[in-house]
Amino acid sequence: MSQTARIVNVIRLQFVNRQPFLWIPLLVFGLAVALSLMIYAMIPETGPKYGGAAQAPMWTFLFVGVSAMTLTFPFSQSVGLARWEFYLGSLAAAAVGAAALASAFIVQGFIERATDGYGMDGYVAHLPWLWESGWWAAWLTFFVFTLMAFVLGFWSATVFKRWGMTVLVAVLGVLGVAIAGALLVVSRREAWGEVIAWFATAGCLQLTGWLALLTAVLAGLSYLTLRRAVP
Amino acid sequence: MNPVVRARDLVKAYPAGNALDGVGFDLEANTIYGFLGRNGAGKSTTMSIITSQLFATSGTVRVFDEDPYENPRVLGRMCFVRENQKYPESMTTAHALRAASLFYPGWDHDFAERLVADFRLPLKTKVKKLSRGQLSAVGVIIGLCSRAEITFFDEPYLGLDAVARQIFYDRLIADYAEHPRTILMSSHLIDEIADLIERVLVIDGGRIIMDETVEEATSALTRATGPTAALDRLARSHRVLERRTMGSAGALVFHGIPSEAESETATHAGVRLESVGLQESIVHRTAAAATATGPELSPTSMEGALS
Repeated sequence: MSQTARIVNVIRLQFVNRQPFLWIPLLVFGLAVALSLMIYAMIPETGPKYGGAAQAPMWTFLFVGVSAMTLTFPFSQSVGLARWEFYLGSLAAAAVGAAALASAFIVQGFIERATDGYGMDGYVAHLPWLWESGWWAAWLTFFVFTLMAFVLGFWSATVFKRWGMTVLVAVLGVLGVAIAGALLVVSRREAWGEVIAWFATAGCLQLTGWLALLTAVLAGLSYLTLRRAVP
Repeated sequence: MNPVVRARDLVKAYPAGNALDGVGFDLEANTIYGFLGRNGAGKSTTMSIITSQLFATSGTVRVFDEDPYENPRVLGRMCFVRENQKYPESMTTAHALRAASLFYPGWDHDFAERLVADFRLPLKTKVKKLSRGQLSAVGVIIGLCSRAEITFFDEPYLGLDAVARQIFYDRLIADYAEHPRTILMSSHLIDEIADLIERVLVIDGGRIIMDETVEEATSALTRATGPTAALDRLARSHRVLERRTMGSAGALVFHGIPSEAESETATHAGVRLESVGLQESIVHRTAAAATATGPELSPTSMEGALS
C-alpha cells in the first residue's frame, strides 16, 4: 500500500461512519436555520433580520476533534498507523467535513438571496459582512472557522491524553486569562470603537487570514503534542 | 533466520515502580508465542512498546530491523487490538471491521464474514453497546483477518464462553497453517493454549523469566508420587521445587527428567513419574523466581492468579 493510499484510507476511516463529520453538523445547521426562521417569523418589524445561528454547526467540530483524538486515535494505533499518518488523514477528513458544511452554508445563503430572506427579510447565512467580498469569501471564512474548531478540540484532547486534566485546565485557563486581559485592555483604553472599526474595515477575508494562521499554529502544536501521546 | 522483533533492555518506569525492568527477547518469523505472566507482570506494556503505542523509558525495539516509531513501513505490518480497545465514536461492528480492513492489504473479507457468523456477532449494534465477549470477538476477528505479519492478541478470550474460545483457537490454527505469521498471544488460560503455541515467553516482575519451546517448558519438571523412602532418593539427586508428605507416601516436584536407571528403580519402588503440564510448570517456576527475588509465594496460591 502506497503512503498516499494509507493517508487517504485514514480519511476513509473517519468517514466509515458518516455521522460525526457530516450528518450531525448538517443536522445542527438545519435545526439552527429552522429555529432562526421561526423566530424571525415572530418578529413584527419589517427591516432585514440577521442572526448568528449558523455558527452552531461549527462548534460540533470541537467535539468531532475531541472524539477523533480520544476514540479514533487509539483505534488507529491498533491497526498499525503511525501517529503522523493518523494526524494528516484526520486533518484532511476534517477539511472535507468543513468544506461540506461551508458548502451547505453557501447554498443556504443563495436560497436566502433568491427568496429575499424567505419573503420575510430574514437571513441566517447571507450575512452582509461575510458576503461582501463574494460567496467564496463567505465559504472560506466558514471553512476556516470550522477547521479551527476541530483543531482546537483535537489539541485539547491531546493535551488531556498526554498530561491529564490539570495541565489541560491550566493551558485553557492561561488562554482564557490572556483573552480576558486583552478585552480588559481594550475596555480600559476605551478602544472598542477602534476595534469594531478594524473588524469592519479589515473585512472577513483579512480576519479569515488571521484565523487560518492561528489554526496553523494550533495544528502544529497538536502534532507536537501528539508525537508522544499514548492511546 | 533474522528475528522479526528484537527487544533489548526495555525499562518502563512509573512513579510507583518499574513496570518493565530490563525485558529482552526475540520473536522469530512464523511462530506462535504464548506470552504468559501474572496480572501486572508487564505483558500489555511490552506489546504496546513493540507497536510504539507506548514509549519505553530506556531500551530498544527493532521490528524487521527498523525502529517502529512513526515508521509506517513496519507499523503497517503489525496488528495489536488491545484487551480494552477503543473504537471510533458510534461505530457499529460492521463499521469497525470495514475500518480495520482499510489498512491491511491481506484482509480476508470472506473469513471475516464466517467469523462474524461463528461468534454470532450483531453487525448493526454499536461497538460500545456490545457485551464483553462480543467486544473480544471483534478484536479477535480484526486480529485474524488482518493477516498482519506480526499479530498481537492481548487476553483475547475475555468474556468469551468455552465454545467461542474453542472456535477462536481452531480458526487461528487453521488460518495459521495456510498463512503463517508471527503471533504473540497473552493469556492466563495456559493449558487451554498449550496445544496452540510453539514457544512460551513468561514475564514476571517486569522481567522475562522463561523463553523456551513448549516441549522444553513441559519437560523441565517432573512429578513423582509414591513411598517417602523412594522419593527421598530422587530428592537427593534433583533440585526439588515442592514436596508434600502424607504419612508414608508423598509427592515431589523436581527439575529435570530422571535418567532411565533412576526411573526404573523408582518405578520398582512404587513411584509414579509424570511430566508436569505447561500451566503447572509455569506456576512452579514463576513461584521459584519470585521466591528468589522477592516475597515468598506458594504455587497453590498462584494457580488462581494464573488461571
